[in-house]
Amino acid sequence: MGVAQRSRRWLVPVATVAVVAGVGTLGPVVADASPKLPSITAQDLLAKVQTAKVDGLSGTVRSEADLGLPAIPGMAPGSRELTDLLSGQHTARVAFASPDKARVSLIDNQAEQLWTTDGTSAWAYDSSKREATKLTLPAHKTAKPEKALPKAYDPQAVAKQFLDAIDPTTKVQVSGTEKVAGRDAYKLRLVPKTDKTTVGSVTLAIDSKTWVPLDVTVMPRTGNDPAVELGFTSVSFDVPAASSFTFTPPKGVKVTDQKVPAAREHPESAPPNRGKPVKPGKPGAERPDKPTVIGTGWDSVAMIRGANAAGLASNPAAGPLAQLLAKAPTVQGSWGRGKVLTTKMVSALITDDGRVFVGLVTLDTLQAAAAKAPR
Amino acid sequence: MSPSEAPAEATEVTEVTRVTATRPSAGRHTVALFISELRLVFGRARTQVGLGVLAAVPLLIGIAIKLSGNSGGAEGFIGQVAGNGLFLIVASLGLSLPFFLPTAVTVISGESLAGEASLGTLRNLLTAPAGRSRLLAAKMVALTVFCLVATMTIWVSGLIVGFILFPVGDVLLLSGSTVSLGEGLLRALVIALVISLSLLGLAAIGLFVSSLTSTPLAAMAATFGTFIVLGIMTAIPQLHAIHPWLLMYRWQSFADVLRDPPYWHEIGRNLLLQAGYVAVFYTAAWARITSRDIT
Repeated sequence: MGVAQRSRRWLVPVATVAVVAGVGTLGPVVADASPKLPSITAQDLLAKVQTAKVDGLSGTVRSEADLGLPAIPGMAPGSRELTDLLSGQHTARVAFASPDKARVSLIDNQAEQLWTTDGTSAWAYDSSKREATKLTLPAHKTAKPEKALPKAYDPQAVAKQFLDAIDPTTKVQVSGTEKVAGRDAYKLRLVPKTDKTTVGSVTLAIDSKTWVPLDVTVMPRTGNDPAVELGFTSVSFDVPAASSFTFTPPKGVKVTDQKVPAAREHPESAPPNRGKPVKPGKPGAERPDKPTVIGTGWDSVAMIRGANAAGLASNPAAGPLAQLLAKAPTVQGSWGRGKVLTTKMVSALITDDGRVFVGLVTLDTLQAAAAKAPR
Repeated sequence: MSPSEAPAEATEVTEVTRVTATRPSAGRHTVALFISELRLVFGRARTQVGLGVLAAVPLLIGIAIKLSGNSGGAEGFIGQVAGNGLFLIVASLGLSLPFFLPTAVTVISGESLAGEASLGTLRNLLTAPAGRSRLLAAKMVALTVFCLVATMTIWVSGLIVGFILFPVGDVLLLSGSTVSLGEGLLRALVIALVISLSLLGLAAIGLFVSSLTSTPLAAMAATFGTFIVLGIMTAIPQLHAIHPWLLMYRWQSFADVLRDPPYWHEIGRNLLLQAGYVAVFYTAAWARITSRDIT
């Protein structure tokens, strides 16, 4: 066996590397090839979406958020803090049956968090703590007990919010087709006409048979990576069995019984608005009063009173948030003085007199809104 | 490894033997080679000591939990051991995965070819009619069997210790539903299987490194060094773009077996990744061993 012949054997592992790398990187691309579908106008598609009604579905939802939030020092990885939920990847199994049964289980690393309701009672279960919380829902409220569940994992709900926001400020177009969760879908692209917002575009993938949105992608104005992507990786439109929405507390699990206060969500069991970071007005500030919305459409800004930036920054108990604020640049204008926090999607302005302005807008727009805002 | 390669070559050689007819059948050769390889791996004292250490893991964890009285505060599988001995299997497997099991695999795989070379036996094997490709296949099969035996040792040990020290009963899954003890044991068995398959990528790296040197210790050190570097890279968030390609990135996904129903997606991705590593490093080891000069 000659030397050349022998060294040729090394072509085999080299070829294997190429094949493995090729399959790993190109495989998903090939699978996502655009399906051929009859063309449809944006208006027709929107109408179909708004009338879409399914009796039940189940599937796996994957969310990926990259809002460009700063890494907060001292935040333990895996802690269920706001930043954790607003960044990174999450997978959840969801099931829904009309009119009032729903189940969401968030798949964590070696743990799971479950919320389920069968219409009369709702359960929250945390596998890492092995604690279950039972909520008995008021009888007269049976029409919308799913309120207690994280709607944010329902792409349909998220999409509706965007569709509700559509007005003359938005360009709507059908921008092709794609395959989502193995189903043929139309892509509906919403582009804000104003340049005051940080949102570049919102793309919905809409199933061509049931007209249910299967995927929502929010692109920032700058950059090529989605800020938020939320969509099904697998979906079935068969109505799940009623038994899949019931929960029997297992032995050895601590159960807490709680009644739902008539009108509002329960703070313990209702999970935070994860996956809904695109909606202004929920910055996770300290129990503020009702936010005031300034402006309309894409460049609307929410104002919350009651936060004390100066106090927060000097209070060591406030921890990481204080550190973040201490480093934040200070701006001033006709509206006063305050600290600003900006990410590639969300901007926040915390004034020294305790008002917080948050929006998916540029910093200039935020300051203009602050000038117009009531004291 | 490539299961398709061995039979193909076997038939090829069988044709040759039909012509010569004086040599013993190649099939018998192969089986004999595989058996002698297994005997070699499991006959070594270090293999037996290694398996003994792995068997001691559930015992140590079990005694520690028993002595401390309760594990109520602990999260995860460890916290469930006191309530149900079956979770000792899962907890021991989970705790052995980051260190004990890779160490054992590193030692055995680093030894596999370099050990023969250092003893001078590789020379005979390379000239023997058994064939170098088949020798390599036998080594890889022996490593696979070792990975399986290693996790099964923990499974059995955890089962015995868990059933002696703790109460056992229906098994609480991550999704909050319960399954019978029998199904729980079956799921623990699947976890052991998944973990042993997760170790194959590392075993293939060890086999390749072992084919490069004739010093077993150097091969072990290099393999373990690679393992540690990959572990550090997995822990650096700035490298998240390449994380899905790293050997241990999805190792923890074995717990998805304990969901209701089991969530196979991540496990499948993990096993595909391991298959990729095995394909690359096994063929590299093959290229090395078949082009190697007999010294």
